Amino acid sequence: MKILAIDTSCDETSVAITDGTRVLANKISSQIEFHKKWGGVVPSIARTMHQENIEHVVKEALRGAKIKPEDLDAVAVTQGPGLAIALEVGIRKAKEISVQIGKPLIAINHMEGHIYSTLAQNKSGNPKITYEFPLLALLVSGGHTELVLMKNHGEYKIIGQTLDDAVGEAYDKVARMLELGYPGGPIIEKLAKEGNQDAFPFPIPMMKTRSCDFSYSGLKTSVLYLTQKVLTEGISKTEKKKIIVDVAASFQKAAIESLVRKTQIALEDLGEEFEIKDIILAGGVSANLALRKEFRKIFSENYRLHYPTNKKLYGDNAAMIGVAAHHHLEKGNFTQPIDLERLPNLSL
Amino acid sequence: MHLIKKLKLYRMQMMHKVLKISETPTEEIIREAANTLLSGGLIIFPTETVYGIGALATEQKAIDKLLSYKTRREGKPLSIAVDSIKMAQEYVEVNDIARNLYENFLPGPITVVSRGKHTVANGVESESGTLGVRIPDYELVRDIVKKIGKPITATSANASYKKKPYNINDILNNVSDKQKNLIDLIIDAGTLPKREPSTVVDTTGGGETVLRQGDVRLTKVRETTTESGEQTQELGRELIRKYKHYLGYKSVVLALEGELGAGKTEFTKGVAKELGIKEPVLSPTFIVEKEYQIETTEGSYAREKKPMLYHLDTWRITEVEAEFEALGLVDKISEGHVFSIEWADRATEFFEKVSETAIIVWIKIEHTDKENERKITISDFAKE
Repeated sequence: MKILAIDTSCDETSVAITDGTRVLANKISSQIEFHKKWGGVVPSIARTMHQENIEHVVKEALRGAKIKPEDLDAVAVTQGPGLAIALEVGIRKAKEISVQIGKPLIAINHMEGHIYSTLAQNKSGNPKITYEFPLLALLVSGGHTELVLMKNHGEYKIIGQTLDDAVGEAYDKVARMLELGYPGGPIIEKLAKEGNQDAFPFPIPMMKTRSCDFSYSGLKTSVLYLTQKVLTEGISKTEKKKIIVDVAASFQKAAIESLVRKTQIALEDLGEEFEIKDIILAGGVSANLALRKEFRKIFSENYRLHYPTNKKLYGDNAAMIGVAAHHHLEKGNFTQPIDLERLPNLSL
Repeated sequence: MHLIKKLKLYRMQMMHKVLKISETPTEEIIREAANTLLSGGLIIFPTETVYGIGALATEQKAIDKLLSYKTRREGKPLSIAVDSIKMAQEYVEVNDIARNLYENFLPGPITVVSRGKHTVANGVESESGTLGVRIPDYELVRDIVKKIGKPITATSANASYKKKPYNINDILNNVSDKQKNLIDLIIDAGTLPKREPSTVVDTTGGGETVLRQGDVRLTKVRETTTESGEQTQELGRELIRKYKHYLGYKSVVLALEGELGAGKTEFTKGVAKELGIKEPVLSPTFIVEKEYQIETTEGSYAREKKPMLYHLDTWRITEVEAEFEALGLVDKISEGHVFSIEWADRATEFFEKVSETAIIVWIKIEHTDKENERKITISDFAKE
């Protein structure tokens, strides 16, 4: 069953063709270069870019998958969460195609898509992955940080989430405080490798409570206080560089530590009721190698860890939307084009 | 010419008496004005802002006459001039907030709206029973009011929607003969300095709200210290509570200023709680704008569109005005929503654009020497 999937939730215009969990094409027109100079996503630019690109990306995806529109069985689109005026562009296009080819429309939650990025296969059907339910998913990105209990396909329960800033956002903000540019994640990760992660003992967020919720606002503030104190005007270039890499490493240590600890708490709490064997780590921040390394170290002995199956699946992309839509297609969870509205705050 | 015709013409011309301030002893003006008012007549008089039209506020006949002069009011309330807070209290309930304004700003170009006591003629109070009171910063007017011992109306002397009256010709050139004939006495002080009509402040909602911005830029500033995020949230709750009754017909814009980590989102969380929003309110930095449906039974629900909370963050965007334009904010402002805008000091043009249509509250959050302590300064009115 072939699906054309569209994701325009933020700053990537992406269209994919999937068949079950196989990805036949996954085209992403990145806008990062355009947003870079603003230090983040700019809604109006995002919308304009989506509008300019969508038609072309749809064609590219169909060509890449060697598929004609009439061969499709359904159209899937991200309904939310995301940037309202960006979501609209993808939704409009999806409705248009669905009506044009007379095939059903499936509305997908972007976060559900991130979960399914770990099930996506290449054209030949590799790798072969199976989950055992219930499982625990940690979804980390610029806009989200949440722990989700997944009892079955389509059955989700958020058991913890950020109370203020998302972890990816904290990376961006710290990068900006250190004047490092955007996006902050890859830059901080890179600099952190050269720094001493114990140089500045930042408080690990939310350690006083046993809840599974996250908070990165306090950590961000601590980094701000520290940089104001140590990055004074009189210091030499070498000293400055040293401080920056040490701040990056120390910040990353605290950020990762909180993700690991909260996941541990969630597993302990859920362990009383469920037998959990699988952990999914997905979303843009899951591309961070230090995070994955720490997860492997702590969890791989007792759990099976799942990450997005290739590097195009970490960030926002439409292939994961198509894979997620596959289960909805089987169940017949369709939406009438007229009823499909953007839901910028949609939650699992 | 026939005598009767002559008399008629004479009356037409002499329907109103004009007393020039420069040529008439003050005593005489006060006496003439008081007599005219007490016999139910209308007078045009100068104030520190524009020319006003006065009628005895307690006399139904006089008010009816005034209302036929000020046509097309569409339920707009009149305001009254008194000579003291003591006189004001006979006609309105002066609560603590109003008292504060009387004591600090009056006499002056400010009209304080309070709950009326229904002791004036019909048509003076608003339909909802409120009444605007003014103590003009113009001694002559206060003396006239003192002489008659009762309030007079203090609405501007232009016919509704016409030019603001700074001299007598501004008035006479813009009204019909019929309206002219209703005027009994004109106190002519020449051309007045061009000042805006009074600032109108509503004190009936539990706080002060500027209904019309005049020259006086009332900045009511409160300074508070909070010691935790929870306390900052609580402050947000308290603040929006005062403005909830505007939901659905007037937008309330919370303009938040403060460094990274100051607690701007915390403040907004409190606001959201008070507005019945159950979803967690997270930082909007990443996507610039987040929207939440307001769940509350207060305010006006007559509108098709339900009121929303728009949470915005200008931190990352450089072209703030263009971005707000793209998000359609100026249009949304007219619909009666709540806007919480972080890094608001980067959007000054936007605030100028909406200052007439929305209620703007500035909130500045600052770090102090103590780690979790914040100094929060709330200015309820437009910035100086």
